[in-house]
Amino acid sequence: MNHTAEARLPAQAPEFQRSALGGPLLSRRSALAAGISTLGASWLLSACGTGGAASGQQSNPVAVPGEVRQGGTLRMARPPASDAESLDPASSLSAYEYLGALYSRLVKQAEDGTVLPDLATSWTGSADSMTWTFKLREGVTFHDGKSFTSADAAYTVRHILDPATKSPQAGVLAPFLKASGITTPDKQTVVMKLASPNAEFVSLLMSYNCYVIPDGSASTIAKTGIGTGPFSLVSFTPAGKGSVKANPSYFGGRPKLDTIELTAIADVQARVNALLAGQVDLVAQTNLDLAASKTVAASSTATTATVKNAQWYVLPMLTTAAPFDDAEVRAAFKVAYEPQAVLDLAINGRGTVANNNPVTPKDANYLDYKLTPDPEKARAVLQKAGILAAGQELFTSSYDPVLTPMSLAYQSSAKAAGLDIKIKTASADSYYTDVWIKKPFCASYWYTGRPIDQLLNQVFRAGSSYNETGWSNPQFASILDAARKTADAAKRRQHYQDAQKLLVDDSGSIVPFFADRTIGLSKEVRNYAEFGFEFDYLNIGLKA
Amino acid sequence: MLASVIARRAAFALLTIWLASLLVFVALQALPGNLATQLLGRDATPEAVAQLEQQLHLDRPAWQRYLDWLGGAVTGDFGTSLVSQQPILSAAGLALRNTGLLALVVVVVGVTLSLVLGVVAGLTRDRWPDLGISGVSLIGMSVPEFTVSTVLVLVFAIRLQWFPAVVTDGSDATVGTLLEAIWLPAASLVVVMAAYIVRMMRTSMIDVMASDYVSMARIRGLTSVRVVLRHALPNALLPTLNVIAINVAWLVGGVVVVESIFNYPGIGTLMLQSVRNRDVPMLQFIAVLGALTFVVCNLLADLAAISLNPRLRTPGRAG
Repeated sequence: MNHTAEARLPAQAPEFQRSALGGPLLSRRSALAAGISTLGASWLLSACGTGGAASGQQSNPVAVPGEVRQGGTLRMARPPASDAESLDPASSLSAYEYLGALYSRLVKQAEDGTVLPDLATSWTGSADSMTWTFKLREGVTFHDGKSFTSADAAYTVRHILDPATKSPQAGVLAPFLKASGITTPDKQTVVMKLASPNAEFVSLLMSYNCYVIPDGSASTIAKTGIGTGPFSLVSFTPAGKGSVKANPSYFGGRPKLDTIELTAIADVQARVNALLAGQVDLVAQTNLDLAASKTVAASSTATTATVKNAQWYVLPMLTTAAPFDDAEVRAAFKVAYEPQAVLDLAINGRGTVANNNPVTPKDANYLDYKLTPDPEKARAVLQKAGILAAGQELFTSSYDPVLTPMSLAYQSSAKAAGLDIKIKTASADSYYTDVWIKKPFCASYWYTGRPIDQLLNQVFRAGSSYNETGWSNPQFASILDAARKTADAAKRRQHYQDAQKLLVDDSGSIVPFFADRTIGLSKEVRNYAEFGFEFDYLNIGLKA
Repeated sequence: MLASVIARRAAFALLTIWLASLLVFVALQALPGNLATQLLGRDATPEAVAQLEQQLHLDRPAWQRYLDWLGGAVTGDFGTSLVSQQPILSAAGLALRNTGLLALVVVVVGVTLSLVLGVVAGLTRDRWPDLGISGVSLIGMSVPEFTVSTVLVLVFAIRLQWFPAVVTDGSDATVGTLLEAIWLPAASLVVVMAAYIVRMMRTSMIDVMASDYVSMARIRGLTSVRVVLRHALPNALLPTLNVIAINVAWLVGGVVVVESIFNYPGIGTLMLQSVRNRDVPMLQFIAVLGALTFVVCNLLADLAAISLNPRLRTPGRAG
């Protein structure tokens, strides 16, 4: 009998695991992790004929905005965060795709990582970067008709800080800000007084947990979804169907679309099938693997679009354990391989070489610095350390479809240095509890889109629970602190670049590449634009 | 005699369900890691872990927790879903209804169709209707349901666009909406399930048609239709009943795969979500429900066999 249920059980870790870096991030991680079942995809592929080479780039509607019709309904398939999904932006179980449509933040992110105004029209920091004053947009109303004032802005941040909310962003903001530090001198001004200086504080409010909700709405916001965003809520069912309609009084102008219908589909292949069958127009937060993207691109009604450098992939070396407690060994592992070769082999070149630096090249603070691959030098160091003879275990899992290809590609590339990598595949289910930060060497990944202050402090600084390599470098910490105290942006940039150089030289993180995300959408869709945690709901529309 | 047979079967069924519930409980205890830390994530404070452990009664010995659960379960209280914080039965209610609807369609269409096909194949042994039916059912038997589903989606949802590829509604979908989208998932299950029933029905029809009493009935001049329907079919059904029962019970596993592929908001989808969310009480309920379905199907098959078999049916003449 065909009792094959086990074969298709998506091996996914609990949503909650790494949620402090962003709730839906996790569920989207799981969604991206599942990939497309090879069998299903190849069936579709052979049946649809070959659609030529990876056509993501050629037919990318991001590049071809085209003529857009005013009005229409976009049907979007999305991965559910959980059966207990909520519209509370601060929650770790928020239904991510609704947030950007329903709400606005005080500030939003530009593609180079810098801060743009949204509900806050301007902000100023005191000379010591301890007090931040936000001037708020006037004449903005919530979907229920109430005016937006500083009370709502203050309430939103207090709601995030409230331990009862269990917001992933609380851990990011709480070290600087107490609820009592937020004051509202008048209706259009909110002041946040920090406990310690942070010149980059405003960037922490770009998070998708920081969407502004009405004053006093903590107990109702999960269902009402009342915000100031381009769309207002029509209906919402956790892990089910829902829809939003254009908000004609949105301060940024009227959206192109009239309605967006959102459908939760847990299985990745089912999401793609829905697109191919014309039941949905856009498959959100779903990274199509090569076979699936070819299938979609070959279809007569659907196509693919690329989100550049959507994730960064990493082989964390635990610096607290042998052999990676030796900085020379870490450096040797970093020069033992060729990043371009790993990028090409692991993901067919669908990404950008990272050269062991997790900061994206588009970021305003990016430092173009790399260690030149030198297998011979690596060989000498590894020989001395006795690693050439012993080999090194590298743990991977099917948690994400790229982890194992990346591990194999590193193994293959590092052979040039005589390095014998022994790949161990661990259960995806408990990978992030039993292997990550436990085993000396494993494969992992993160979403890009975190502001640089948050990225460096959270993932690389000693003391952070997300410091996956246990790297503890006092100089690195003092550079980051100096950056936080530096009000001048150009000087701060210098600090962040110093930090990147130190990170590339000494940290435990082998970062071979950034991977693009390929998503599927109908050929009718125009102006799809997405990067990091930003999605353009205002301009996306349908073909005229 | 009959009553004691039924009583014995029913007692065995209860024993099986109880053992299954015990096994499921033990298996869920063996899940890696402390449940409370799994649920709360890495950032959990010790106080939060302790609080959740108390809430889940993890601070009590496992046998005691099992007895508590068993005590609740026999009175219909399966605990509280960790995700929705609702009683299990109401949290699973709509999913149960949806899977029930799917099962109903599959069983009614699938069993009827496969019995008819089996009889036709048996009566036309080695001629083209038999060869066609047997060939197709062999293929259906060999191909896993996710492949069947994928092919059905490709042909009927993507190419011809006769049916939707997925259900776009959640578990609160109306029956009407579900009935529009139910045909491909139902067909996937029917194809895989029907194969076994067709094969069994065909074999047993051939056996029965070759038996003395069928020859006798023919000699007595009864019409072919009457011979098949009145004399051959009831006897040919007997060995097939168990195969039907096993296949209907197998649906419990099959729906998990098929519901996931079609985003059908039933108990299989709920189970996958519960695995992902570590909703242990819900998982335990679904697993026991699966065992219950399996046992009840087999029990019904036994009872049907008894009612169809004159030797088991008539007291005093058994053996």
